[in-house]
Amino acid sequence: MTLATSAASDAASGVQPQLVIDRVTKQFGEGPGSVLAIDDMSFNVMPGEFVSVIGPSGCGKSTLFNIIGGLLDEYAGDVLIERERIAGPHKAVGMVFQEESTFPWRNVIDNVAFPLELLGVNKSERLDLAHHFIDLVGLKGFEKLMPSALSGGMRQRVSIARTLVSKPQILLMDEPFAALDEQTRLLLGDKITQIQQDLNQTTLLITHNLTEAVQLSDRIVVMTYRPGKVKRIVDIKLPRPRTSDVVSSDAFGHYVAEIWSDLREEATRGMVDSESAQRGGSRG
Amino acid sequence: MASSSLAQHRAIPIILGASTIIGAFVVLEVLLRMGVVNKYVVPLPSQVVMALERIIVEENIFGRMRETAYEMVVSCVMVIVLGVPIGSLLYRWRSLRSAVLDWIAAMAAAPLVLAFPLFLVMFGRSPTTVIVMSVITGLAPIIIKTTEGLLGVRPVLINVGRSLKLTDAQMFRMILLPAALPTIFSGIRLSWTFVLISVVGIEFLINLGGLGQLINDLSERYDLPGTYGAIGFVILVSVAFFMILERVETWLRPAK
Amino acid sequence: MAATGQVKTPTATMGWAKSGRGSSRSTNMIRAGIFFGMAISWEALSRSGLLFRDVVPSLFSIWASIWKLVASPVFYANLQVTAWEIFASLAIGSGLGITVGIILGANRFLGAAYEPYVYYIAPTPRIIFFPVMIMWFGVGVASKIALGALSCFFTVALSTAGGMREVDKVLIRVGRSFRATPWQMATKIYLPAMRTPVLNGIRLGFGTATVTCLLAETKLSNQGLGYMIMQIYARFDMPSLYGLLIIVFIIAGVGNLILGKVTGTSA
Repeated sequence: MTLATSAASDAASGVQPQLVIDRVTKQFGEGPGSVLAIDDMSFNVMPGEFVSVIGPSGCGKSTLFNIIGGLLDEYAGDVLIERERIAGPHKAVGMVFQEESTFPWRNVIDNVAFPLELLGVNKSERLDLAHHFIDLVGLKGFEKLMPSALSGGMRQRVSIARTLVSKPQILLMDEPFAALDEQTRLLLGDKITQIQQDLNQTTLLITHNLTEAVQLSDRIVVMTYRPGKVKRIVDIKLPRPRTSDVVSSDAFGHYVAEIWSDLREEATRGMVDSESAQRGGSRG
Repeated sequence: MASSSLAQHRAIPIILGASTIIGAFVVLEVLLRMGVVNKYVVPLPSQVVMALERIIVEENIFGRMRETAYEMVVSCVMVIVLGVPIGSLLYRWRSLRSAVLDWIAAMAAAPLVLAFPLFLVMFGRSPTTVIVMSVITGLAPIIIKTTEGLLGVRPVLINVGRSLKLTDAQMFRMILLPAALPTIFSGIRLSWTFVLISVVGIEFLINLGGLGQLINDLSERYDLPGTYGAIGFVILVSVAFFMILERVETWLRPAK
Repeated sequence: MAATGQVKTPTATMGWAKSGRGSSRSTNMIRAGIFFGMAISWEALSRSGLLFRDVVPSLFSIWASIWKLVASPVFYANLQVTAWEIFASLAIGSGLGITVGIILGANRFLGAAYEPYVYYIAPTPRIIFFPVMIMWFGVGVASKIALGALSCFFTVALSTAGGMREVDKVLIRVGRSFRATPWQMATKIYLPAMRTPVLNGIRLGFGTATVTCLLAETKLSNQGLGYMIMQIYARFDMPSLYGLLIIVFIIAGVGNLILGKVTGTSA
């Protein structure tokens, strides 16, 4: 329902969505052993908008991420960018992964310049651009260091800069802060908000972290647990520009409580599932 | 696509591997019979198979295996009896450890077997030479792994022991040793592998005793099928030995 | 013939040993203590006459023999032969090993079919193949190179295949997400990611090739350091035997160290 209304209002304002997720379904395997990871999901992301997809662990978030990123190209339904169906990595999408993904054999600047190198951009231009984005993520002065000399949060910022340097129309992130501690997470969130506003960067964030989602997003898509469906879409009308201070506001608490009541049910189902799976596993 | 769905059945690659080996022997047999490959360099695979009976009956391969096994068992036991205490000592004495661990690591990489003529002078062409040399070659890995295993014991387990007021001996027997056992065993596996290589190799080099000497004898008699057969036999025995060690090691590893 | 298929753990242990390294003064004192303690007891044992003459020769005679060896042209002639054998084995064995390793590592099906054979044959006593190598390549240098290459092959193939499989999956996804071409994937992702295991394999292969070539020389040859060892042994010239062994260990150690430095893997 939410979808229909928002699509209608978009059509009225004349702005085309940048990313359309239309009745996407993904099933792994066939027959009785198969798993329905995503079931008929639909939502849009507008230009310049920050959308988060939130759901409990195991709800198929990462599958959705891989489909939109083009790393999983067999799926039902459509993921559309400028009316083009995604099959294989699309040049408009830049991905940031959950895992540590910097190249350990390249220093910071060469890591960031990597996508430009693939495109055959000449060296001076590529270094200029890389410098710019390193500065943007706040790593000026660390250009020559190897990733092993950086903290986890800094390495994740290198990954983000590496993706931004390729100037993606859509920044697609899968739990980019999952491995970080809470404070680093909040501060990096500030950085992301600021970058997103500076570049007017369309962003789709996949996460299981509620505060993070509310802190950063314009809209939150809440997913159900297995199969992953759209449970609800919540507009976050917190003022922009935002900083991490927003987490102490009443409105913030209100949104968190509202979404948590939805999420709680799903998370509980997930927990019961994994507990019974463990019991079954230890027995067998 | 086809290969990925094939790979899902575990048996298929195993069958392919085995049939490639068998196929290679068949092709070799044909080439030899056609005279493409020189018969005086490579024997017919069928002859090698036939020679196995001769090796077993006339050359008394199982008797020789016993000799090799005797040297193996003595060396393997010695390696543990010496290696585990030395490794524990190095764990206990930090300063000694930082002084000699690099030396022991260098020992593991050094071509120590080359010193066999020295022991030949000391002990003559006797099983003692084989055993002493093999123990020396096999010692380094087990020492290193024992120390590594003990150092890797989770501090919380040691604290549990402390809180229960265990004596040093109890601590070692009831906490440190069991916790380090999987790592120590992977050291044992390495050491025993070194020992096997060394025992068979030195038997071959100094022409003494068991399986190694058999290969030497047969090749000096220019008994082609016999030499190839004996080599094949030794390879099979070694592979069986490694497989058993590996099984034991995975069995000892905590499930996780 | 010693350290071969067991390649993985010696490396791991050495990496670990490094962390335990403290070149503090006390460490050096202990080292010096052990060193001189051993030297003095050796010398005492040598002079006590308890053991058969020359089994434990005086350190001074060993020292003298080392200098004599290092000054003799015969030593260098033999060193050259052995060095060539090791170099050729390493080149041939690594070349084949890397090729086969990449094939086995890249294709899961072929890996499952053939890698077990490489894996289990790797740690067998390769020296027993020497008679076969003599039949195929004659008694000269070629049979030693062949045997050395064979030993080296297994080590390098296994570490290459392992390295290929252990390339971090997320890095492959990063490459794909930036739409890297297959050539770019190979040169910018796989190659640099596999550098360490492959170079480490080559370093271990050097160790294997060295032992194998030298042992083969002690068995049957008329030149090389292994041959020289057996000649000295035949003369019962114990000080020289100790001396030459020490020289060979030092050369092998230095070779290993240099390769470790060059390849950036811990030695």
